[in-house]
Amino acid sequence: MKPAPFEYVAARSAAEVLDALAGGGTRVLAGGQSLVLEMNARAARPARLVDINRVPGFDRLEVVGEELRIGPLVRHRAFESGRVGGPLGSLLHRVARHIAHPPIRARGTMLGSLAYAHPAAEWPAVAVALDARMELASAEGNRIVPAADFCTGPFTTVRAAGELLLAVHLPLLPPATAVGFVEHRRTQASFATLAALAAVTVVGGRVTAARIGLVNAADRPVRAAAAERALTGGPFDDAAIAGAAATLEHPAGVLVRRALGQARDGD
Amino acid sequence: MIGARTLRREDARLVRGAGQYVGDIRVRGCLDAAFVRSPVAHGELRGVDLSRVRAVPGVVAAFAHADLPYLPPTPPMLDPGSIEGRPWPPLATGRVRFYGEPVAVVVAGDRYLAEDGCDAAVVRVDPLPVLLDPTEAAAGGVELFPGLSNVAAEREFGAPAGDDVWRDAAIVVEARYRQQRLAHTSIEPRAILVRPEADDGLTVWVSHQAPHRLRRDLAAAFGLEPDRVRVIVPDVGGAFGGKSETWPEYLAIVAAARRLHRPVRWLEDRREALGGPPHGRGQHQRVRLAADADGRILAYELHIDADVGGYPHTGAFVPLATSMMATGAYRIPSVHVRTRAVVTNAAPTAPYRGAGRPEAAFAIERTVELLARRLGLDAAEVRRRNFIRDFPYETLTGFTYDSGDYAAALEVALRELGIEHWRAEQARRRAAGAWPIGIGLCTYVERSGVGEEFGAVEARPDGTFVALSGCCSTGQGHETSFPQVVADVLGVDPALVRLVEKDTAVVPSGVGSFASRSMQTGGAALHRAATKLVATARQRAAEVLHVPVAGVAYRAGAFVADGRSVPLAELAPLRAEDTFDPPEAFPFGAYAAVVEVDPELGAVRVLDLVAVDDYGVVVNPLIVEGQALGSIVQGLGQALYEGVRHDADGRPLTLSLLDYLLPTASELPPVRLAETRTPNPNTPLGAKGAGEAGCIGVPPAVLNAVADALGLDDPQDPRMPVAR
Repeated sequence: MKPAPFEYVAARSAAEVLDALAGGGTRVLAGGQSLVLEMNARAARPARLVDINRVPGFDRLEVVGEELRIGPLVRHRAFESGRVGGPLGSLLHRVARHIAHPPIRARGTMLGSLAYAHPAAEWPAVAVALDARMELASAEGNRIVPAADFCTGPFTTVRAAGELLLAVHLPLLPPATAVGFVEHRRTQASFATLAALAAVTVVGGRVTAARIGLVNAADRPVRAAAAERALTGGPFDDAAIAGAAATLEHPAGVLVRRALGQARDGD
Repeated sequence: MIGARTLRREDARLVRGAGQYVGDIRVRGCLDAAFVRSPVAHGELRGVDLSRVRAVPGVVAAFAHADLPYLPPTPPMLDPGSIEGRPWPPLATGRVRFYGEPVAVVVAGDRYLAEDGCDAAVVRVDPLPVLLDPTEAAAGGVELFPGLSNVAAEREFGAPAGDDVWRDAAIVVEARYRQQRLAHTSIEPRAILVRPEADDGLTVWVSHQAPHRLRRDLAAAFGLEPDRVRVIVPDVGGAFGGKSETWPEYLAIVAAARRLHRPVRWLEDRREALGGPPHGRGQHQRVRLAADADGRILAYELHIDADVGGYPHTGAFVPLATSMMATGAYRIPSVHVRTRAVVTNAAPTAPYRGAGRPEAAFAIERTVELLARRLGLDAAEVRRRNFIRDFPYETLTGFTYDSGDYAAALEVALRELGIEHWRAEQARRRAAGAWPIGIGLCTYVERSGVGEEFGAVEARPDGTFVALSGCCSTGQGHETSFPQVVADVLGVDPALVRLVEKDTAVVPSGVGSFASRSMQTGGAALHRAATKLVATARQRAAEVLHVPVAGVAYRAGAFVADGRSVPLAELAPLRAEDTFDPPEAFPFGAYAAVVEVDPELGAVRVLDLVAVDDYGVVVNPLIVEGQALGSIVQGLGQALYEGVRHDADGRPLTLSLLDYLLPTASELPPVRLAETRTPNPNTPLGAKGAGEAGCIGVPPAVLNAVADALGLDDPQDPRMPVAR
């Protein structure tokens, strides 16, 4: 379990990262919690690694307008520690606690997870359910891709080889939004067999917006659109939750029901 | 001293990272080896081209089978007549029989370079059909060893019950069980460092359980006198049965080191370790049990098809141990066991913590519980009606149980669990429509010991003592517990006694540590040696004091007669040794588990677990409890999480700990330990084996609890997320 030979570049700026990526055959090293395992098994043999851990500002996590902007060195742990407030912070907190175990959360990054696109990863479903905007940078310039279009299958995204996932912009959730996240897995640190997240905005006793994301339910992160539609416009009660869950096959319906129940009950 | 909860001496270095494992040994000029391994599970090996390997910078040498004409075949560990015609070349030739079988060894300046070399190898294999299921493999069609049956060994124990027994019985229950393959998963995988010596001898540092056996095997394999081979076992990070063997890789490393006249080491990595060999368990079982209407068992039939992997050298005897323990704690008038050890295209198996006894307990304990359910009787009561109560007891499968009180252990387990509380909670949940819980029991008997062991005690003039043992700690705390035994006999502070073991140049003979045998046999040998030492010294003391031997008393390191005293140290140096061969012992116990099942997702959570073990006399309860907890966790692994899986082509799917799920601290339920104490009548120390019980008691208890929660006959139903 030793990697094949590779060249290593410790970038000091975004420009150096993009230069390295432009050369081809290059993978970005952020937390390394998936990439290094693959390299040790020689399943991944990048010619070059560009290490972004020393790039100033890449660890920035800030609210910009109506969005939370997350840089490429923000670790999973940042979302566990309550730095982000409001319903969005609450959802990210619940999700982060389900990612692997504390040592991995201390190293691994949200953007690394999004770019890696493991079907059982939690963050891609969050990005899709919340209509995140993915900001890709390359030597040619930056572009924004909607999260729904970003992931195209297991371990595949629209990111080109010369591009860096520079930021993710998550819209802040309205204050009257209740959130829930439920995951099924075999052991505490193993991959999700299946997980569901819910963010339900209730104004005047009526659901005005429902966002439901599913982890590991398809070849890419998906939204439970029928369940969202079933829930929207009516009261957020047991019958509505059951109706939303009934739009899904077993056991996805079970997890969605529980995630919605958690959101409604606030526990 | 005996019975003291002494902290482990070895932990001072082990928990501070100051332990010395094989990977920490620094030998000048040592090279690292890696293996080119078979990319398919079964095939004709058409060619191994290493020419590009040898051109990789940093690679010193690369050898396939044809390059090492003096490579001896792999010796079996215990062979029930299974290896005749089925040689296991350390580097494959002719055929490959499991994925990952070594095909060539690459030696380089470091492991990175060695793996770069492996990458450059070209291995040509014409694939053959792959057999993974032992029952299908036993049926033939494809032969792993052309001209030979895939059934490498077949044995019967007991005799079939007459048709009338089955016809006339009030009830007959039948079931099939699967014992999935498990990976040993010691924290430290296998490791060996070989330094060829100028006199043609070898010094071998190895992570092992039986250094004297390895010395004997290596000497025989390479035509050396045993005293030319020195085997040293430094600190070992767990073994669990997977480090008793003389593995093919070890022979290849010795051959490479001798050929190159250079020290060479191989440090197995996690991927190799999970791929196996070794793997453990791997049995298909079919049972039939007849009983009267009160649940008294009349006949028990057990058919085992054991998957022993591509070569039967290390695993074929394990199902025989299962067979001989088939009836567990019960007096059953008619027993018939038919066992087949079957070669398949999976990695060879070997003993894994419990080594055949967990498989036996699983079958009988699941079946007894099934019997109780069918009869509508309490499962504890059915057990009570069938327990063996008179000892010694000769089983129909050929063992003599030395002592026991199975009913007492069961009562302690039920009381500690609070069975009434949990039954009430179960009823409450049923009435309320809440998530179901289930209660499961297991009463087990195991076997420990196996063979002789060497022990010696030396008194030194400085007042200290050295204990030499043929055992081999792989983490069990011998440095603490063995001195406790010796100090107890000598009446001195255990801190004055230092243990030496695990070096064949210092300890003249030995067997090792497996089968829970160290304290039972090695501890007893030290007890006898210390007793002999006192007897010898008493003679000397009598001479010094000019009194008859009978008039000399010994107390706390000194001899006393007529008000005069001679310290033992003044009579030193003195040495006494003993080789002790006690009969096998049969520790026992009772386990009880409560589980909660998520009825929608099938997830199982253990709410409560009680383990009652009877190990006879316990020398250091702290150490024994640690071992009990460790084996309980591994038992939970078998029950709920662990399992080696393959794809249809025989490629392992569980080559990382992301895929092979071990229980971790997060999965641990509340565990309560309790004991009964029935001393071993056959040794002066009274200790029986300890350390494997949790692996034996937990899986049936947990699976029985799952079955109880859901009212299922078969909790290994594919829809259940228990391990399989």
